[in-house]
Amino acid sequence: MVSKDCDVIIVGAGAAGLTLAARLAEGGKSVSVLEAGPERKLGDLISSQIWARKLKWSEPAVSESGDHKIGHAFNAGTGTGGSALHHYGVWLRMHEGDFSLNSDHGLGLDWPLSYADLAPYYDQVQAEVGLSGDSKQERWRPQGAPYPMPPMPLFAQSRVLAKGFEKMGRHTAPLPLAINSEPYKGRQACHYDGWCDSGCSIGALGNPLAVWLPRAQTAGARIEHNARVSRVIRDPQSPQRIECVEYIQGGESRSMYAEHIIVAAFTVQSVRILLSSATERYAAPGNHSDKLGRYLMTHPAGTVFGLFDQEMFPHQGVTAGQLLNHDDYDKKDAPGGFGSSQWMIGHAIKPHDLLGYGTNRPDIFGAELEPWLKKASRHLGNMTLVCEDIPLPENRITLSDRADSDGIAHAHAHHDLGPSAAARCAQRMSEGAEIMRAAGASEVWSGPRIGQHHMGGAVMGSDPAESVTDAFGRVHDTDNLYVSGPALFPSSGAVNPTFTLTALASRQADHILAIK
Amino acid sequence: MPEPLSRRHLLARGTAAGFFVVAGECLWLTPQEAEARVFEPQILSPQQCKALSMLGDALVPGAAAAGLSAYIDLQLQAGDESLLIGKYLGVDTSAQTGFYRAAADNVMSLADESISMHTFATSMATDAVSGWAGPPASYVLFVLRADALDVTYGTPEGFEKLGIPYMAQIKPDKPW
Ligand SMILES: Cc1cc2nc3c(=O)[nH]c(=O)nc-3n(C[C@H](O)[C@H](O)[C@H](O)COP(=O)(O)OP(=O)(O)OC[C@H]3O[C@@H](n4cnc5c(N)ncnc54)[C@H](O)[C@@H]3O)c2cc1C
Ligand code: SF4
Repeated sequence: MVSKDCDVIIVGAGAAGLTLAARLAEGGKSVSVLEAGPERKLGDLISSQIWARKLKWSEPAVSESGDHKIGHAFNAGTGTGGSALHHYGVWLRMHEGDFSLNSDHGLGLDWPLSYADLAPYYDQVQAEVGLSGDSKQERWRPQGAPYPMPPMPLFAQSRVLAKGFEKMGRHTAPLPLAINSEPYKGRQACHYDGWCDSGCSIGALGNPLAVWLPRAQTAGARIEHNARVSRVIRDPQSPQRIECVEYIQGGESRSMYAEHIIVAAFTVQSVRILLSSATERYAAPGNHSDKLGRYLMTHPAGTVFGLFDQEMFPHQGVTAGQLLNHDDYDKKDAPGGFGSSQWMIGHAIKPHDLLGYGTNRPDIFGAELEPWLKKASRHLGNMTLVCEDIPLPENRITLSDRADSDGIAHAHAHHDLGPSAAARCAQRMSEGAEIMRAAGASEVWSGPRIGQHHMGGAVMGSDPAESVTDAFGRVHDTDNLYVSGPALFPSSGAVNPTFTLTALASRQADHILAIK
Repeated sequence: MPEPLSRRHLLARGTAAGFFVVAGECLWLTPQEAEARVFEPQILSPQQCKALSMLGDALVPGAAAAGLSAYIDLQLQAGDESLLIGKYLGVDTSAQTGFYRAAADNVMSLADESISMHTFATSMATDAVSGWAGPPASYVLFVLRADALDVTYGTPEGFEKLGIPYMAQIKPDKPW
């Protein structure tokens, strides 16, 4: 038997990977994290939307197809902290009904656990990371401990937009955020400068570098950077055990052996690693019934913009927004389409870059542009709709025909949006335009429908014939291989996934620590 | 002695500023400075740079002086590390050079002196330029306009022009 390098290998130093590294190392395990990207520090996070693009996943590129592509280049990051290093900090719980989509509506899949199973982990994680919000005003919030910090202050933009919701008989509540509204556990309070997309260098946003990395390292976890895992390898003597991971570092192929292996390389790359681990003799781990890679999901989302006479100062605040509306969340089967939806209201916004207001008005150019930009810089309001994606088996991550110079196959992601989810999204976007007008906007327009967040591909389930992992993320046909992250989600809900995936990772850690 | 131009240098020193060949000499400059000193592009031809600058400036006045074509040429040199927004918009880094060359060649061959660049851009917006080859004109327009916005307004100076406080936590050591 080959000797082990450590108790646990974690692939990927992002939201899930570093949560697990902290928990498992603190629980007494020896932990090694292999991270494909470079080492990043909070001090590297330069305040610039252009420089922020350095934080994104670069190569190998993920090829895409379908009528609603997942936008891998924008949605995935690399290096310490992963995509979560510059995520916007919207931390919402999934609702009870998100866990039983199939039982309740005959669509998609059920989770192998309920909200009640996850609730203690949501509570635990929110106390550790530090969430700001107002649980009482969130009339739609599932049961749970109140937030440890008061909500963010409301800036001009949100005060105006809230009136639009009110006039339409709707409600708003402070957006719950993993951002400090006051100093918390040695981390500073937010400056409301809107640089979240570049990464919050002051540590006010609870990204993995600010929260989990210091804990993991203090507890002895080791992190190897520029170490790209190509595949996991079965023990030839007992093939249900995965004995090691193979990775490329400094141009050399290396192996690392451990008792437990956790693949937490975000949705597309986690599936790519598992698919690449098929051999002539054995199917890829978790692919015994051709479910690996299937049920890929991305939230259909879109932003509604409005120009107002009054001053809105849209540079103020945080990128995520200031207010939330979940009035329609639990009405999955309301007429007009299918699925939950939410509004995040009042984003701090920049003039340029993918989400910027200048970019979203391609019809304005030439001499008209600068006066328009100047006006928008003071008078713009904006809010983003997030809708549920319905898990479809045809939406799938596969290996592409292309490979990199090390011979590692690239991933391909196919994603179509089902007609009922598309209809729901269009319906809510037009309601959003009405709300914007009700708030007093003199001119209203919408950005394109885009894909936000990546979920599914290695879905958890009770039935091994219908899923890839069990309720703890253990790959069904293995004893010791786990997946962590949103790849596990059997349904997407319409909330941003990082709170849920962190709660799941915490639950996984407890499970692994309890194995004798 | 100027340091020799290499990709490693570009990556090591960041891609917002870089080595530009100006009058046969390799100098460390921001793209704005490079544009002002008539740099010699490494990936695009001088004519292609001129075409992209003209179109970019028609879309976002000030983009040429802000260094649009020098910025594009420099980012194309950076390969996988390119910061061009096209990556978000489905232009894979390996295809970016071909994308910009084709865009510039279309402009050079189809924009004639009898119409203004503004009118030409208006036809591009509706894909009404006859003879346009390669990625659709409206798409090219969107990408180039976004690049032009980046160089013109995505900097502390650009924010100042619009009256927005930049409020950097860590200010970029070069404008972009
Ligand atoms: C701009 C932006 C804003 C966002 N805002 C929000 C928000 O407000 N709220 C929210 O809930 N979510 C948000 N998200 C989504 C959130 O960032 C992700 O859901 C979350 O980071 C996923 O966690 P993860 O650990 O699965 O993946 P990641 O955090 O991406 O970490 C995965 C890590 O694995 C590494 N890796 C990949 N392949 C390999 C390999 N072969 N070998 C070794 N390492 C590998 C990657 O380099 C990466 O570091 C946002 C994302 C982006 C891009
Ligand atoms: S707005 Fe707040 S959370 Fe966002 S980058 Fe600035 S300080 Fe950090």
